[in-house]
Amino acid sequence: MTGPLVPFREIVLKVHSRCDLACDHCYIYEHADQSWRTRPKAISDQAISRTALRLAEHAKKHALPSVTVILHGGEPLLAGPARLRRVCEELTAALAPVTALDLRIHTNGLQLSPRYLDLFDEYGVRVGISLDGDKAANDRHRRFADGRSSHPLVLKAVDLLHQERYRHLDLGLLCTIDVANDPVAVYDALLELAPPRIDFLLPHATWEEPPPRPDGSPTAYAAWILAAFDRWNDRGRPVPVRLFESVLSTLNGGPSLTESLGLAPTDLVVVETDGTLEQVDSLKSAYQGAAATGFDVYRHSFDDVAAHPGVRVRQLGLAGVADTCRRCPVVRSCGGGLYTHRYRAGHGFDNPSVYCADLEALVRGVEDRTAAATAAPAVTDPAVLVAEQHELTRVLLAELHSELDGRGGERWAEVWELAGAVEGRSDGLDEVLAHPYARTWLLDCLDALREGRPGAAAPARMLARYVAAAAVRGRVDVPVRVPHRGGALHLPTLGTLTLDASGTAEVRATGDGFLVRAAGGAELRVRRLREEAAGWRPVRRGAHGTALDDLDPGRDRFGVPVTGRLTPGEAGEWSGRLDGAWALLRDAAPELAGEAAASLSTLTPLTGTEPAVGRHGYGALGLPLAGDARALARALVRGFRRAKLRALLDVTDLYALDGAWTHPAPWRENPVPVSALLAEAYERAGIAVYEEGRADHVEKALDLLDNAAELTVSGKLLVAGVRKELCRSRDRSVLLSRG
Amino acid sequence: MSFHTSVTFAVAKKNRVPLAEIDVRGAAVTKKLSRVLPSVSDRTERVPTFNSAL
Repeated sequence: MTGPLVPFREIVLKVHSRCDLACDHCYIYEHADQSWRTRPKAISDQAISRTALRLAEHAKKHALPSVTVILHGGEPLLAGPARLRRVCEELTAALAPVTALDLRIHTNGLQLSPRYLDLFDEYGVRVGISLDGDKAANDRHRRFADGRSSHPLVLKAVDLLHQERYRHLDLGLLCTIDVANDPVAVYDALLELAPPRIDFLLPHATWEEPPPRPDGSPTAYAAWILAAFDRWNDRGRPVPVRLFESVLSTLNGGPSLTESLGLAPTDLVVVETDGTLEQVDSLKSAYQGAAATGFDVYRHSFDDVAAHPGVRVRQLGLAGVADTCRRCPVVRSCGGGLYTHRYRAGHGFDNPSVYCADLEALVRGVEDRTAAATAAPAVTDPAVLVAEQHELTRVLLAELHSELDGRGGERWAEVWELAGAVEGRSDGLDEVLAHPYARTWLLDCLDALREGRPGAAAPARMLARYVAAAAVRGRVDVPVRVPHRGGALHLPTLGTLTLDASGTAEVRATGDGFLVRAAGGAELRVRRLREEAAGWRPVRRGAHGTALDDLDPGRDRFGVPVTGRLTPGEAGEWSGRLDGAWALLRDAAPELAGEAAASLSTLTPLTGTEPAVGRHGYGALGLPLAGDARALARALVRGFRRAKLRALLDVTDLYALDGAWTHPAPWRENPVPVSALLAEAYERAGIAVYEEGRADHVEKALDLLDNAAELTVSGKLLVAGVRKELCRSRDRSVLLSRG
Repeated sequence: MSFHTSVTFAVAKKNRVPLAEIDVRGAAVTKKLSRVLPSVSDRTERVPTFNSAL
């Protein structure tokens, strides 16, 4: 297995190998691996020191921003306060100079006392507790060796942890599922204890030792979890539940939140009480020695373990799951389930999970219940898409300010403050930031800063032009000093001034126009923004008030050369053909035309014959100067669909793991990634709606997309929307043909 | 009538944070930025995923 090592970010440190409970579902003591018998009871001083050293070495080598160390066991509190203090001291001392240390402990809670909690408070060790529900549920498995219930002591521990002085240390409750317990009663009992977080675990099982299914149902565990989910969801999700949040995250294209779901590479290693280094200890449920690596903290580094084949195979994402799983539409959320649950003697781990049917039912069940509420509103509401795009540009400007971090000097500071003033007094700043080429300038600046290019802070002075234009649009009477080079000063969305010399001009809003005082002292007054005058070339407007922008210097990112400034004759003539194009579009596809007209704020004339979208905010489209109304109408449809899909991708997650699979597009020879299939189907559907024909190949593509593992709930909603569009278009054709 | 109208901005302005107060390190903003600035995704805190602990 090639590729760079995945450094460990999570270390499970076994500080004690024995436990004061005898839970009969425990993977450490009751399952295939019995190596606990050979381990020293408590972690030795030398193992503590060496672990701290090895971890610091690992964190420094890989420049890790943080590591998490989870004190575990057995029962970690049995190590006693003195030993635990030593662990905390040594880890903190070794790691503080190198990385942020996140210390946690997971306990059965029986020994928890103020003495431990004061220690944990001192070192910031947060505490998680195991509890399987109410007393009846918890007593099913979590008993002392003599059969006594542990429940009262656990409740006492939870109470103690909830005292005001310790509450900040509480991580929550971990519950192992038993389908014989009532899921709602279990959930309610856990919720009543007001934990900051809950998680539900499937009991460890393999194909050799499958989980109990009292009624024989292959989806009994899914039914249990979904019953708890419904209780949680119907009551406003009062507490974070890791299992539920993980499925919701992956359904929306995000990461999984637990190693038991999803395709994230493992970055976890276990240190045993004797310093032996092992893979994740749930593997102990598979077979004796399943977690072993042959390494230890005395003789080996964490990198040695990271290179172990058993570790590497759990970092391969999609390539690391069974064939069946790779072809399954829910694999991004399921990930093949917890690794150990895949074990079958003679076949290793290259199998679906013994919980496969449950996991599929769980993912589909959560999706069915939540897709409507979770999918991004921008997918179905054009006004929301425009608003979110606008907000994205504002956020990018804020990010630029943050990245500059003073490097823009006094000039930037002055204009930044003016921007705030104009924002507070008018809508002018919003109007100029909604201009699609504002995004172009911001992305350019951020790229330059990230790449550390010399003079990277310079383009940021363009902000002055935007603020000047904003002040003029908003009629805010503040002078804005705008540096400029050469003869032209462009005020975005308004037009271009011709000035004599380079320097700093002062722009001030006056009545319906503005006054410019150039560097040399000359003044130019523009009284009517939309009219050409000496020294002033305005951005022209077409139908629906759309800008026909042949001036903005940021308009040249379409990948196709733009035209120069059109003469009044050329502009009038183009505008006339565009009016014809809009009329054709309105007639054939009124809904599409309406949305395009409302969403496109800026058309830029291009050379050539093709429409284009580029590196800009939503609302811009490059359209060919050439072509009759019919050709322009088609270009408008194709271009608008491309622009809209790009805009959606900027503000929503329509798919994840693009490229992990390829799909046979009906109109192509070779299969393509889902991004290409979706983009092409979306554009072709727009054409099919406009031209009222040729939709069956698009429908085939939509069928493929419906089953694509990459699509998120938002992506699926978009596909469903396209189907509806085609349906409405067909119905409209039928109505019209009946006259 | 375009969606880019003053009506839209007036409504949006009521419920939003002014430009100078946008917290670019917050989770919601980081998520927005990461879609158009790939390097921003590096900022997100790594959450432990070990099954047998929270």
